Amino acid sequence: MSIPPQNTISSVEEQLLKPLSHYGPVTSLKVFQNYVLAGYGPILKVFEVVNNETQLISSQQLFKRNKIHHICISQSGDKVCISGSRSFRVLSLVDTLNNTPSLEEKAINEWITCCEFLDDNTLLILNSHNTVYTVDVSSKASQFILSDKVHCNEKSILYSGSIRLLDDGRVLIAAGTVMNGVIIWDYLTKRIIYNFTEHEGSIFGVQIDSTGKFMISCSDDRSVKLYDLQNGKILANGWGHGSRIWNLRFFKDQSNGLRIMSTGEDCTIRLWRYEPGHDLIQVELLENAHLGKHIWSGDIDDEHLKLFVSGGADGKVRVHDLIGRNNVQEFSLETISAKIGKEFHTKENIKQYSELPHLNLLIIITSHGSIIQYNQLSNEFTLLELTPEESAKFYDFSIMKSLCEINVILIACRNGDILQLRFEGNATQPQRSWIEESQLGNSKLTNLLVASSNSSHYSLTDCPNTKVPFILRKYSDSGVETSFLQQPQQTSFTTTDMTIDSTNSWLILGSRYVSLAIYDISNESDQVTIFKKLSQGDTITSVSIVRSQKNLLTVLLTVRDGVYLYVNISKIDGEFQYEIIHENKLSRGFIEGGFVQNNQLILYGFKSSYFYLWNESKQIEIYNEICGGAHRQWEFFRQDFNSKFIYINKSTLCIKTFNARFVKDFGVINPGTHGREIRSVCISPEAKNGSRLILTASEDTTVKLGKLHSNGSVESYWSLNHHVSGMQTIKFFNQTYAASSAANEEFFIWKFSELDAIPIVIEYSRLKPSADIPDLRIMDFDAFEYENGFIITTVYSDSTIKVWYFDISEKRFFLIIEDRYTTCCILNVNFLFLNNRVLLQIGATDGHLSIWDITNKVATGGEVKSLDEMIIKQQLHQNGIKAILPVKQAGSYEIITGGDDNALILSTLAFDQEKLKLEVKSFIEKAASSTITSISSSGDAKFLVTSVDQIVRCWSYKNYELSCESARYTTIADTGCSDSVIDDGQVILAIGGAGLSTWKLA
Amino acid sequence: MGKSSKDKRDIYYRRAKEEGWRARSAFKLLQLNEEFQIFKGVKRVVDLCAAPGSWSQVLSRELFQNQKQEDAKIVAVDLQPMTPIDGVTCIQADITHPKTLHKILDTFGGEPADFVCSDGAPDVTGLHDLDEYIQAQLILSALQLTTCILKPGGTFVAKIFRGRDIDLLYSQLSYLFERVVCAKPRSSRGTSLEAFIVCLGYKPSKNWEPKLELNKSTEEFFEGAGIGKSDNLEHLDFPVDEGRTIGTFLATGDLNDVDSDATYRPGKERELVPVQMPTAPPYKKALEMKRRGDLVRR
Repeated sequence: MSIPPQNTISSVEEQLLKPLSHYGPVTSLKVFQNYVLAGYGPILKVFEVVNNETQLISSQQLFKRNKIHHICISQSGDKVCISGSRSFRVLSLVDTLNNTPSLEEKAINEWITCCEFLDDNTLLILNSHNTVYTVDVSSKASQFILSDKVHCNEKSILYSGSIRLLDDGRVLIAAGTVMNGVIIWDYLTKRIIYNFTEHEGSIFGVQIDSTGKFMISCSDDRSVKLYDLQNGKILANGWGHGSRIWNLRFFKDQSNGLRIMSTGEDCTIRLWRYEPGHDLIQVELLENAHLGKHIWSGDIDDEHLKLFVSGGADGKVRVHDLIGRNNVQEFSLETISAKIGKEFHTKENIKQYSELPHLNLLIIITSHGSIIQYNQLSNEFTLLELTPEESAKFYDFSIMKSLCEINVILIACRNGDILQLRFEGNATQPQRSWIEESQLGNSKLTNLLVASSNSSHYSLTDCPNTKVPFILRKYSDSGVETSFLQQPQQTSFTTTDMTIDSTNSWLILGSRYVSLAIYDISNESDQVTIFKKLSQGDTITSVSIVRSQKNLLTVLLTVRDGVYLYVNISKIDGEFQYEIIHENKLSRGFIEGGFVQNNQLILYGFKSSYFYLWNESKQIEIYNEICGGAHRQWEFFRQDFNSKFIYINKSTLCIKTFNARFVKDFGVINPGTHGREIRSVCISPEAKNGSRLILTASEDTTVKLGKLHSNGSVESYWSLNHHVSGMQTIKFFNQTYAASSAANEEFFIWKFSELDAIPIVIEYSRLKPSADIPDLRIMDFDAFEYENGFIITTVYSDSTIKVWYFDISEKRFFLIIEDRYTTCCILNVNFLFLNNRVLLQIGATDGHLSIWDITNKVATGGEVKSLDEMIIKQQLHQNGIKAILPVKQAGSYEIITGGDDNALILSTLAFDQEKLKLEVKSFIEKAASSTITSISSSGDAKFLVTSVDQIVRCWSYKNYELSCESARYTTIADTGCSDSVIDDGQVILAIGGAGLSTWKLA
Repeated sequence: MGKSSKDKRDIYYRRAKEEGWRARSAFKLLQLNEEFQIFKGVKRVVDLCAAPGSWSQVLSRELFQNQKQEDAKIVAVDLQPMTPIDGVTCIQADITHPKTLHKILDTFGGEPADFVCSDGAPDVTGLHDLDEYIQAQLILSALQLTTCILKPGGTFVAKIFRGRDIDLLYSQLSYLFERVVCAKPRSSRGTSLEAFIVCLGYKPSKNWEPKLELNKSTEEFFEGAGIGKSDNLEHLDFPVDEGRTIGTFLATGDLNDVDSDATYRPGKERELVPVQMPTAPPYKKALEMKRRGDLVRR
């Protein structure tokens, strides 16, 4: 029998291609002793947890191709086995921690569902056909022996499985099949104990608890099911997951109650409690625990570290505190009434409250003017002494604010008078003093704002009568200084937040319609400056200082609708100027406030019925609290990494306290990338301090901006949510501008700058779609600098080709050419420059490469022109030209194309006399075993190619002869895009797909 | 497929509805036939993973209407129930079960099949390696049955996804067929990894008798078949030199035919109701609970 021809280009000179960094799905997790072991594709990462701090202590690629789907540790703790796909590897724990892996990658000839050690020398491998291989792994020379193959006579295909060793010596196998069933069988007797068929669809997770009394399973049907293994009865269902559930773990609560953790496709982590006679009770829900889709893995340690870990398709590994979760105190008015020994009026309710964190005090005022102090350390409530007349002033109206640093509470009443309460450490009652307001006349106070700046503390009184100035008070130990600020002469200027910059003595007020008022308070004669409608949106909910320099202030503005802005404010020739330097929006509800902490942007607000605290930089929800929604009295207080969200729900005061246990990066112990496939990647043309910008566009419609460091690591800074449909392409025009295209005719131009070494970005301009209901995809684009902007071409899924002039200062697109190719979808486009001509080249799904001369049509405007007859139309590939790289040489181009047909073609393009000629020089029919998806330059007659067969290849073409110099497997599945840069002769390649990886070409 | 998915705009989707095909995949089989004439001289056909049945529809139209073969036999097999099709024997059964093989053979009067096809694809999880493994299992399961029922010289066509181990499959199939081609019909979207493996000229493995048995995994079934599968169980060493072949690729269907990746602007939009509604999904209950508000959100 003849042997089929071999694929000789799946592994070639692998050492020439060196992987640097990898970010991708976290396929398995295991907590053991002080360690978190993470299967990061084929890489095993080990983190050590000491005193609530985590540190990466080892990272090694232990499989050549396969991903680590399961990790088990022998009962002695000496041995670790990782497994996945057909591969497994047995390691000593010590070697694993020391980064010196022992023994080599082994394999069986089936898919491995899971492994478990029977003892240090015996490994049980459950394969996907429900057969357990008993393997003697005692050999130090890696001479493993398959000693037995055990099955229960039911060889259904398994999606999941687990092996449980019990104290009584029994070994139970739980097998989750492709269709409906969970089979529980005994490894020693080979007999089936139970065949549970309550689930519908494939079983994705199954676990037996350590006592062997309970079993849990989850499936396609989105339910968690708990079974009693002593009688084979189903005990409870857990409903709640919005899509498939991937992973389950048992754990116990402090009172030894049975609990379950589940993670799934809906990116939630759910903790459940079992109470006999009831369905599973969901005790905690972590939503948006990871980005995109899928939390593939999770583990929990309820005894030693008391934490749980989760790993997502987004490549993040997160540790979560298990103790001290869900810490909410509730106090009804009746409770408070009983504690202070005062009867409240029947209609009396809690109106306002404020915190003095240094003293652990919460001060509360009621609708009838009772002021109560709650000491959160001693848990004591105290009624503050107020005369009946004083209380009456607060009847039905009060605004309470705290000046935390000096332990002062201010409470304003309708007529503008302010009660000042100064609290001392041990005194039970504060010093009271009244600031009487004489400026308001008959007008009413509508808002009292406070701000602190460099040990100065201010309040600002706002009343709707624009003739009454804003009253600014500065508080110090010596007393209160009052000054006045002219109100903006407009009725709609409702103040919402205030900040004061001590460097420049500027006071900034936020208002509705994204408007700002700015005052120079060092100069009393200075007029107010108003900036209206800085962006789309409604109310500015917070103004805070990000960076303060002499005559350059950067503030963060949050806008309720979900937009946030970084705005530079400076004074030029006595006039305030502003520039928006960073702008993004949150796709998760309303923003009520935000702040920058450790260079990370934290935002909070409401989405439907819950309050959230969100780390925008790390793209993680820190916590959320179901409070019933935004329409209630609520306050958010923070100190360092801890925070409180205090709200009223059904007349009850609820205090949610969050104390961060894992402070560093809020428990993100491994950074990640997008949660869905990356469709396009690009690297900025210039390096700064050894780093370049990197942009990735993903199937989840987000664009990520990060830095690619010279060691290949990628640091993510922002996730941009402007696109709303499937991303196609992202490219840099130069170091400052980039553009991205997507379905729905979305085409955006981005502008980059830097804020203290952090890259920042704004959407600079967007192309208006041609149809009211745009359904075209802009497949690709190209651009070159021209006059005061760029000449840009966009190509469409309906064969349309457009060329634009984009004017940078006007931020406007001028259509200069519009035409159509055929009816097929155009896949890529490039501008080529030969013999002083400007050529437009496209590749399409029909496998043809076509070129037009547009030299005489390039302009900054004028009439919209058609294309002339194409000067080249040549079929190169059988179908779609998926990738193209034009390489400019003196007087010619080398054009490399890669197709859906697996072929790679090198052509040359040059003018012969006046006629442009495309000549195929080299053709490799089988250049990959699947679609070629990208070609990136690596200089000097060499280039890098990615294809869906997950092999990265470096090809050279000396003397126009293509030859594969190097080929190496990449762990990025769905390999779809790449970009490269050459720094000091060093080629760095970034590959995107189901994850992101960076490589170095030797 | 939901009404809001991009398929709504797909020209092949529209055409399928207009021409009465149960799914757009009908065009894929038609375009494969254009290239390979796979229906020529075919009398007995097995359509595996057939639901909702568009390939069976194509086969029925071709054999009975176009070729007027009154004695042709078409058997469609799927785990899911199928709406009947003229002249097609529908069997709701597991393709790995020996009984299914016997049922098909009974329909054929003990004669072998001329053509076996499978357009089956499992639900994907998103874990690419697992999905590719399950798809490979599906193809091997179809191939198992095929080796038991296909006449020498017969044709086998199956849907594949061109992932990281597709070269392993090309290599294995090349031992059993004269010619193995990876074909991509123009009606299959360029953005999808989907393609079809067209295996022409079945040449049964010598010294190996395929035998479908209950409780035999596909690996066990093909043991001794000599198709280059690695047998590494001695010391469980990782196979370093498995047979891998880059298959020949052929784009099928006329390049001037409509492009499944392109956006077309139809004269006027009209609502096209799917001919075949999707079968009950496993998460039906969860959806009903969500509608009733019974799903514990928090």
